[in-house]
Amino acid sequence: MTASLQGVFHVLNKSIVRLAIPVAIGALALTACGSDEGDGGGAYKIAYQGPLSGTNVALGENMQNGIQLAIDEANESGEYDFEIEYFAADDRGAEGDATTAAQTAIDDADVMAVVGPAFSGPANISAPLYGQAGLAAVSSSATLPALTEQGFQTFLRAVPNDNAQGLAMSDFLVGQDGVENVMVISDSTPYGEGLSDVAQSELEGAGVTVERETVPADTVDYGSAARTVVDSGVDALIYAGYYEGLAPFATRLAEAGFDGIGISGDGSNDDELINLAGDSVEGWYLTCPCTDAAEEQATAEFAERYEAAYDTPPGTYSAESYDVANMIIETIAGLGDDVSRQAVYEALAGAEYEGLTKTFAFDENGEFTNTAIFMYQVEGGQRGYLGPVEELAAG
Amino acid sequence: MSLSDIWDVLVLGLVLGSLYAVIAIGYTLVYGVLQLLNFAHSEVFMAGGFGGVIALTLIEPAVDPSGLQSALYVLLGILGGAILGGLVAFGLEKAAYRPLRRRNAPRLVFLITAIGASFFLYNLAGKMFGRYPLPMPTMYENRQVFEIFGTSVSVTQLLILVAGLLMLVTVDFVVNRTKLGSGIRAVAQDPEVASLMGVDIDKVVSRTFVLGGLMGGVAGFLFGTNLQVEYTMGFLPGITAFAAAVLGGIGNVRGAMLGGLTLGVVESFTVELWGDGWRYVGAFVVLVLVLMFRPTGILGERVGRTA
Repeated sequence: MTASLQGVFHVLNKSIVRLAIPVAIGALALTACGSDEGDGGGAYKIAYQGPLSGTNVALGENMQNGIQLAIDEANESGEYDFEIEYFAADDRGAEGDATTAAQTAIDDADVMAVVGPAFSGPANISAPLYGQAGLAAVSSSATLPALTEQGFQTFLRAVPNDNAQGLAMSDFLVGQDGVENVMVISDSTPYGEGLSDVAQSELEGAGVTVERETVPADTVDYGSAARTVVDSGVDALIYAGYYEGLAPFATRLAEAGFDGIGISGDGSNDDELINLAGDSVEGWYLTCPCTDAAEEQATAEFAERYEAAYDTPPGTYSAESYDVANMIIETIAGLGDDVSRQAVYEALAGAEYEGLTKTFAFDENGEFTNTAIFMYQVEGGQRGYLGPVEELAAG
Repeated sequence: MSLSDIWDVLVLGLVLGSLYAVIAIGYTLVYGVLQLLNFAHSEVFMAGGFGGVIALTLIEPAVDPSGLQSALYVLLGILGGAILGGLVAFGLEKAAYRPLRRRNAPRLVFLITAIGASFFLYNLAGKMFGRYPLPMPTMYENRQVFEIFGTSVSVTQLLILVAGLLMLVTVDFVVNRTKLGSGIRAVAQDPEVASLMGVDIDKVVSRTFVLGGLMGGVAGFLFGTNLQVEYTMGFLPGITAFAAAVLGGIGNVRGAMLGGLTLGVVESFTVELWGDGWRYVGAFVVLVLVLMFRPTGILGERVGRTA
């Protein structure tokens, strides 16, 4: 330690030092884990790219737990003559970290397929990299429609896209009495913009007047936006964005006296929303291509195992990610000794896999062939599951 | 835009602007005494947000607070924010800047240290509190709304406005009327002469940081009640408040207040007219225009060594 460093430590208050030391040790431990690779031989890795830190980490952890559970169960079952390992590629849900996250997964030669990228913005950036590496990227949650229209070579979408979700929002609102004016607010992320575009055009197609606004997710004040909504006198509001933005926005809306129907998409469909916003989000509708694992019969048993493993009920896309991970594991098993990244991708692209939540199959662009959307509503401080939108809109 | 619309938007702008003004004072005070752009001040603000959350979480607020309880919770939150903000600012000066001053380090080194300290602090907060947003515990019946001159004002907005304006008045008093204030002004004008006159520069600098930290910490708590508390929450308000300090004339306390309120109001009207996506476009166009004609900022000439 040099004299100047000693000087610095001297003035540092003891409690800061106490904090700093575990942090420093933690950082060293992480580096040590990072350099442990290349044992190979009978072990394959399944990577997950999504937000494992950062603002929307709750969504990322839901999926990570689902994947981890699938891997643990496969390893314990003894059915496979290979070990599966989990590989975390944290992109913080942000475009800026998407390249690095994808590259870490690509650089590990044992990674045979990726679940993810979880968010549409990072997917746009990572998918071409996976394409060049011939590594299959199966996203169980990136719903931006344009993702499958850009000729990404190895991108498969295992979830109905926002065209289906925007259509479902529109169908649902049109089915409600007295909804003539709707405001559509995007959080200016690729996901929010895409979903807004679809919802707007579907609503306008159904003869509803639509006002469109943008409120960036990092705005410092939702008061102005809440005022705009209430002043416009719309009957319903669609917020196309993530729960972190909707939570303070809903609070400002409640204060401003908004009494119309509020509806948001899968990006907001998380218990964190209620934790952050309290009773301000009471009554909000949330659409999602995901079913409630605990409510649907097919996944009830999965929900119990999940809760036993993680002390928390499965969240948005937990069951879907579990399915996708299992589909990958079965695909790898089906290839026998010919496991390569390219072979795994080709087998996945042509697969029809019967998961717990739905049947997984892809068209020639890697687009999902199933378009069912499900509705949730915040009631009594809980996310209540209402069932398929198709039935709600018709009934 | 009708008159009542204008009044609505003005109130929203003043709420935001009073926060900017309070944060901007932290930048401007430190710049005044050290000619240092303390970019870590945004993290002092962030620490204040967490201070408020910690204080309120510790006492576990009642679910249905009475009026008196609500007032106590708010005071406690303010206190929590002020204490943690003040502590972080104090520690920052001691650990990061004082050793550099001892060695007469060049200006650039201070600036890099400030940026480094900012990175360190917000990542430390991310490690300690988690990298996700925390809600501010409920302190009062949220939806209760006051009517002031035809515009409805929520409890949160009123709280921010009143607390913000009170702090502005207090800090103005401290700087202009107290012994500490004359010390700060003396060091800002000419540190060598000030020290010849018996002013303990180290003490004044340290107290200046603490004063700015108390203000910034409370602003962080107030900001958290309006949005939520998160380890990255300091960045945008911090940059905007820094711009406000420059707009008003960095080094000048009243300038920082004026700059903060101006930017808040300009942002609010920009959002009203063109939408939230244009927020910073309006604010920074005004900043550039003002600086084109008055490079020292609106009130930038009053205090000795300006930028």
